[in-house]
Amino acid sequence: MQNITSGFGAFHPLALMLWFVSIFIVSMFSMNPVITLLSFAGAVCLSLARFGLRDFFRHAGFYLIMFLLIALSNPLFSHNGETPLFYLNHQPVTLEAFFYGLETAFMIVAVLYWFKCFNVLMTSEKFIYLFGRVIPRLSLILSMALRLLPAFLRRYRQIARAQKAIGLFSGKGWTDQIKASAMVFGALVSRALENAIDTGASMLARGYGLPGRSHFSIYRFTRRDLFLICADLACSVVVFTGMATGSIRFFFYPSVRCSWNAASYIVFAAFALLSFLPFIIECKEKLTWNYYISKI
Amino acid sequence: MELLHIENLSFRYPKQAQDVLRDLCFDIPQGAFVTLCGPSGCGKTTLLKNLKPALTPHGQKTGTILYRGTPMEHLSDKDKAVKIGYVLQNPDHQIVTDQVWHELAFGLENAGFDTDTIRLRVGEMSSYFGITEWFHESTDRLSGGQKQLLNLAAVMAMSPELLLLDEPTSQLDPIAASEFLNTLKKLNRELGITVILAEHRLEEAFCLSDLAMVMDEGRIIAFDDPRHVCQTLTDTRYAAGFPTASRIWQAAGGSGSCPLTVNEGRRMLADAARPAIFPLPPRSLSEETVLELKDAWFRYEREGKDILKNTCLRVQKGELFCLLGANAAGKSTVLRILAGTERLTRGKLLIHGKVQKPKDPDAGRHIALLPQNPLDLFLKDSILEDLQDMCAMAGYAKEEQESAITQIANDLSITHLLAQHPFDLSGGEQQKCALAKLLLRRPDILLLDEPTKGLDAFAKNELLAFLSSYIRSAAGASTKRGMTILCVTHDVEFAALAADRCALMFDGEIMAAAPPERFFAENHFYTTAASRISRGIFQNTVTVAQVCALMKGNHK
Repeated sequence: MQNITSGFGAFHPLALMLWFVSIFIVSMFSMNPVITLLSFAGAVCLSLARFGLRDFFRHAGFYLIMFLLIALSNPLFSHNGETPLFYLNHQPVTLEAFFYGLETAFMIVAVLYWFKCFNVLMTSEKFIYLFGRVIPRLSLILSMALRLLPAFLRRYRQIARAQKAIGLFSGKGWTDQIKASAMVFGALVSRALENAIDTGASMLARGYGLPGRSHFSIYRFTRRDLFLICADLACSVVVFTGMATGSIRFFFYPSVRCSWNAASYIVFAAFALLSFLPFIIECKEKLTWNYYISKI
Repeated sequence: MELLHIENLSFRYPKQAQDVLRDLCFDIPQGAFVTLCGPSGCGKTTLLKNLKPALTPHGQKTGTILYRGTPMEHLSDKDKAVKIGYVLQNPDHQIVTDQVWHELAFGLENAGFDTDTIRLRVGEMSSYFGITEWFHESTDRLSGGQKQLLNLAAVMAMSPELLLLDEPTSQLDPIAASEFLNTLKKLNRELGITVILAEHRLEEAFCLSDLAMVMDEGRIIAFDDPRHVCQTLTDTRYAAGFPTASRIWQAAGGSGSCPLTVNEGRRMLADAARPAIFPLPPRSLSEETVLELKDAWFRYEREGKDILKNTCLRVQKGELFCLLGANAAGKSTVLRILAGTERLTRGKLLIHGKVQKPKDPDAGRHIALLPQNPLDLFLKDSILEDLQDMCAMAGYAKEEQESAITQIANDLSITHLLAQHPFDLSGGEQQKCALAKLLLRRPDILLLDEPTKGLDAFAKNELLAFLSSYIRSAAGASTKRGMTILCVTHDVEFAALAADRCALMFDGEIMAAAPPERFFAENHFYTTAASRISRGIFQNTVTVAQVCALMKGNHK
């Protein structure tokens, strides 16, 4: 896998967050097959660029099963639509329900792929940073909690190991095991409180509680970020207007039908740009890199 | 002008009958490197905390502390925080945030610096301290030495004038500790930072210091150039932790100036002594093998790397075996396997000649493991409750319990500690109580994981006396057979004093098991200071006592 701070991940958390919010909203609420397919293609391309072909095939099974489950369950349970394909238990299985299932399946799998990228690109630090802008104290608390959790786990294992060596966990029944774990946990909590005194001292020693605390982050907002936000906003405005005015409305029931005009194609183009933007950025970075290498 | 001027400083904790600090008067010159030493509980920490207003404990304080001529109370809150840096003992507990970069910025955020200043300072700090490699790591993934370095850098980021450090190296291995002390010296030398360092490891600290302060029972015993301090206090109980060279110098007659480093010690000894050979003490090793690892392989994860690689180990009955080696050599893993908390992936473990099988109900009955942190053994609110628990688990009859606890508490002289909470004890006391709990199981094999970590010279000597007299001679009533001890340690000085045999563990293999005189005499780098000083002049001398014994009658 690539370095998380390269390519699309190198953008400022705010720009990334805004972009992901718009892609999630449009993907989930448009219910238009063109939008959904564009979103799906964009998501798959970005995950291919970020995680590689190998990772794609390793996890493809999961997404395929999800896809089939959703796509097939809709026509089995929903009998709306006017074009019956065949009858199952005296119930019609319709073409429209089948299409609707396909649409939903593509939409959900696309969102899952986006989410996978989101998880990797928006690290906990970036998240904390964004929330910290709103509530500065919260970001410190989150950061401290993220520090304590692994330390807590490690210390639990350490105490449990020491106790196991002197026979604490040797009881046969599960009640004994639970009792032993509870004892270790109790000791762990008092140890944590004891250690917190040191942490507190270290915070005080470095001036925590002085008036006028500032808020530092390692993220820089650059022209690139501004460009991404502008592109994101421009595309989103076009797409949202299209959605609100009904120019990309698509009907599955009672029969598959759409009312597209010239405006619809502008909306699709805008969304295509939005959806493929991260992929284009990733590719551009790789290509320029290869270009520089070839020049050396 | 002096940086700190302290006059008649006394301090008493609430509800205590005695002062912890008694009428202290001294000056700390600007730019000095001061080492503060003395037995546990002598008031070192209390003194340091009194010099850092944010950490000064509640209590009754008299006298004056002047910082550059201004009373400490009159400094602004920001100056108090920024100008005086404080590093605590435990590397882990003082880290506040989850990311290295955030930790470096924490103090600067508190002081209200703007983003650009912080960015510059953080960059500066990580370049100066060599943190750049792990700048984007989460703090949880650092080693102990890295954590302590980060703590120092995070304090230095606020560019203090005075650094106070409370035993910062006591939880580190010797290499990390030495690196840390040298970084401190660099700060002192290159930036003129005034350093006050409370320390147990005087071997190195004294060589780096301009001034040494020895405290006991709240008083200053000596405050002078380290050489003078060693010279004047050489016959007292404080000398136990002094540099080896100075202790040998005393035995050699104490003429000229007192040497502190190994190099100075070598020159002094070459001038003062004739070559001689130390007669090796007779050591008889039992024929009976108690612990044995045969071609042992081990890894923690299926895809992980091998921690043990074809490791072989034999420990004979009644001996104290020291396993030495650097960090991550697999020493603690060996102990876990012997104690039965991990299983070998390949190879055999034999205890008392019996192959150990998983799920054996008898497994681990003979063995007790003292973990690195003795606190891990205590689950209750008082030592007594924990000992009682142990009795119940070890299957003592009701009537036996009390006498067994009394007996063991007497043997370890911890009777006065039984009612206390484990957290309220010093490191040495915690360890003794942990040993008591372990010995109640009546083990015949004792495993010790870094038993000297965090102990001062006095507690170390006590541990040594306990291990050699009580357990090994099996004179105590609670052990009928001779106990076998396997000790894993970084501490070469301790191993040279305590061990019957030593071995080096490196890269998953155990090599060169031999008596300490031979083991350390053959090592050139990984050996005791006494051995390095006497090499080429005396043969077979690895402890101060041995060098001193040989000095008698071999004067030039």
